[in-house]
Parts: sequence; C-alpha cells; structure tokens
Amino acid sequence: MKYLAAAAVLFPAAILQVTLAPRLEVAGAFPNLVLLAVVGWTLVRGAASGLRWAIAGGLLLDLVAPGPLGVHALALAVAAYGVGFLQRSFEPDPWLLPGASGALAAVAYNLVLVALSDLLGHPISILPVLQAWIAPAALYQAALTPLALLVLRRLDRALPRPVVIDW
Amino acid sequence: MRRTQSRSSGAFAGAALAMLALVLLTELPSAAGPRGYVKGALAPATMVTTGFLDWAGGGLAVVTEASRLRSDNLRLAADNAALRRQVAELQAAAQENADLRRALDFQKTFGHRTLTAGVIGRAPDGLTRSLTIGRGSAEGVELGMVVVCGAGLVGRISEVTRSTATVQTLVDAASRVNSYTSGSGLEGTVIGEGGPLSMEVLPQPGVVVTPGEWVLTSGIGGLFPRGILVGQVAQFHRRDSATVETADLAPAVDFNSVSTVLVVLDFKATG
Repeated sequence: MKYLAAAAVLFPAAILQVTLAPRLEVAGAFPNLVLLAVVGWTLVRGAASGLRWAIAGGLLLDLVAPGPLGVHALALAVAAYGVGFLQRSFEPDPWLLPGASGALAAVAYNLVLVALSDLLGHPISILPVLQAWIAPAALYQAALTPLALLVLRRLDRALPRPVVIDW
Repeated sequence: MRRTQSRSSGAFAGAALAMLALVLLTELPSAAGPRGYVKGALAPATMVTTGFLDWAGGGLAVVTEASRLRSDNLRLAADNAALRRQVAELQAAAQENADLRRALDFQKTFGHRTLTAGVIGRAPDGLTRSLTIGRGSAEGVELGMVVVCGAGLVGRISEVTRSTATVQTLVDAASRVNSYTSGSGLEGTVIGEGGPLSMEVLPQPGVVVTPGEWVLTSGIGGLFPRGILVGQVAQFHRRDSATVETADLAPAVDFNSVSTVLVVLDFKATG
C-alpha cells in the first residue's frame, strides 16, 4: 500500500516536473514538485521514509532529466537528510518548520547539483546561479511546502502507521 | 533515539554513496547507450502529458475567449522574433561574407539541412535549462548537432535516445558559446547562468560595445556555424583595469515558450 502511495505521488510529480512546472515560472524560478513531495513526506514520516522517497523520486526524475542517472536522487537524498536533521535538531514549529525546511531543501538540492556538475567537468559559476536561480527557487519552495504538507498529511492519515521499535 | 539517528545517518551515507557510484558509472561513455535506452522509457508519458497540457492550455483559452488573442500574440511574437533576426543578420551582413547573407529566409541564409522537432519536455531544475525534443537517433539526430529556431540559436544536442534528444540551451549554467558583437566586432564568450545571459568580451583599446548591438556566433572553436543570432546587448560593464569586460544580453530566443525547434543535420562540429 505504501509503495502504491509513493508511486501515485512521485511518478506524476516527476512527469509534471518536466512538463508543467517550467510553465509556472515566477521571478526566474519554478517549483520542484518531487522535492516538495520528498520534503513533505520527510516532515510527515521522518528522515528514513523521506530518504526512500528521495531515492525513488530522484531516480524517476533522472529518467526524464538530462545527464547521468543518480544526480537528482543524490541531491534529493541530501535534501531529505537535511530536513530530517532540521526536524530533529530544532523544536518543531508548526508555522516555521515547513517553510524553513522547503527553503533549506531547495538550497541543499541545488548546491548538490552544482557540485556534481563541477565534478563531472561542467563548472558552474556559483554566485550568478545563486542569485538568478537558487535564491528565488528557495523562496518558491518555502511558499509551497506548507501546501504540500497539508496534502501529504491527508495521505499519511489514509495509510496504516508503520510499526516503530525504539531501542 | 540516538540509535535511530545513527541508523538514519548510516542509511543516508549508504544511499549517497550508491547514488554517487551510479552517477559516475552512467557518466562513462560506454554507458551512453544503455542510459539512453532506459531514459527513453518515460518519453511517451512526457510526450502525452505535454500534448495534454498544450491542449488544456488552448482549451481553457477558448473558454475565456483568449485563444484568438493568444494565437495572435504568438504569431506577432514569432514575426517580431523573425524580424529581429533579419535585422541582426542584415547588420552583420555589412561585415560578413555576402554569400551567407543574401537571403533573409532562415534556411536559405543558414544554408543547412534542418529537421523540425517539437519540444516535449524541459529540465526539472533551473540549472540545466535543457529542452527535450521528440526526435532522436532514429531520425538522424546526433550528439553535438546545433539546434536553432526562427528567432536564433537554441543550443546543442547533449543526449540522444532512439526517439528523443536533449538540447543544452544557451541559458544552461554550463553553456559557453563563442560569439562576436555585430557593431563593434569584439569577440568573446556568451555564458549561460541558469537564467540571464552574459558575454565576456576581450577589450580592445578605443572600442566600446553599445547597448542594442546584436551578438552572433563567431564560429571559433568549431562547435557552431558562424553568424547565428544569439541575443542583443542590454548593458555593457566597462572597467578600465579589467582584462575581460562583460555585457548583459537579452536572449534572442524565449526559452520558456519555444515549442518547435530546428535541428541542423549537416553541420559537423569540429571542436
């Protein structure tokens, strides 16, 4: 059931990311729907679940994106881990946490993409990209993450709870 | 709690290492074939979704009586872009080989065999800004081929599957195109920055780039034919002590709305 739910969210998100999302550009940035899903699910179910969604969603995104496989999966995994870390390390604030998580995840995700591009021999000047893309994208994600969280909380309630054995 | 955290960190480290290995493995030249085959799997879903979104966008516009205005606007924008290209090429013609500038029609001026392709997808992030087109190796599309549209240069083919290809556009953060300015004749490199375009110009004493000048490919490096419109100088930053001066460019092509491109089939990159 949980795999079906993941597929029902991540597959359309990946396809819409390369077809619909670029049409939603505001101030040079457009939303990343897979990143929204991963951040939302990490906030709902924790870092381990978020990491699984990050790998699955990232590999789907890699199939429709240019470049080698694994780039988006790795970037999303770092974003999910960062959100999990933020959630664990700071007192959860229902108002601040979703937006802060969305912004942090967008910055982490894009910085990993820049680093991997450098690693693969396609250097990118970080400052112009930070100004033209990463900063507006982070604001966009911060604004949309609370909405994604609302939707994913409903999905979470519809799914059976995982059994957690804490040692 | 701490043990849960360390398990989570361990899982993350393992996943990150595995994904990094996958990146390096699929980046190998020998993996290009299988990679293209796997990536082609989702192309039909992308194509259908793009078709649906185009249809839905058009349908909604009909309901709101905006369809006619939209198509008029698109036509006028296309006419305007074509006229801008013609003006740029006419200006460049004063300094260029007359053989390449005789006709105003794009293909005649260009003198190359082209293949029309529809845009079926776009990059999922703002760094690559690539386009996915619905033509692939089955139609003769190859790596490195130049892609243009009525308004000017779009980019180069960076990946090919049997039925689709990826175009690295000018605004890709890793894109570099050797170009020259039509008026002052200064040469430099147009750099994509994930959104705006900038041109690094090698300064010459007494020569100044003025806003409004056209920027065209110089052909240096052999990756692009000479004389394709890249953009127009919006602002020039002159610094007396600088070894390289920069100009902000307005791209000739609107990469957000381009829906049909031409793949140049018979230009062989030599760089």
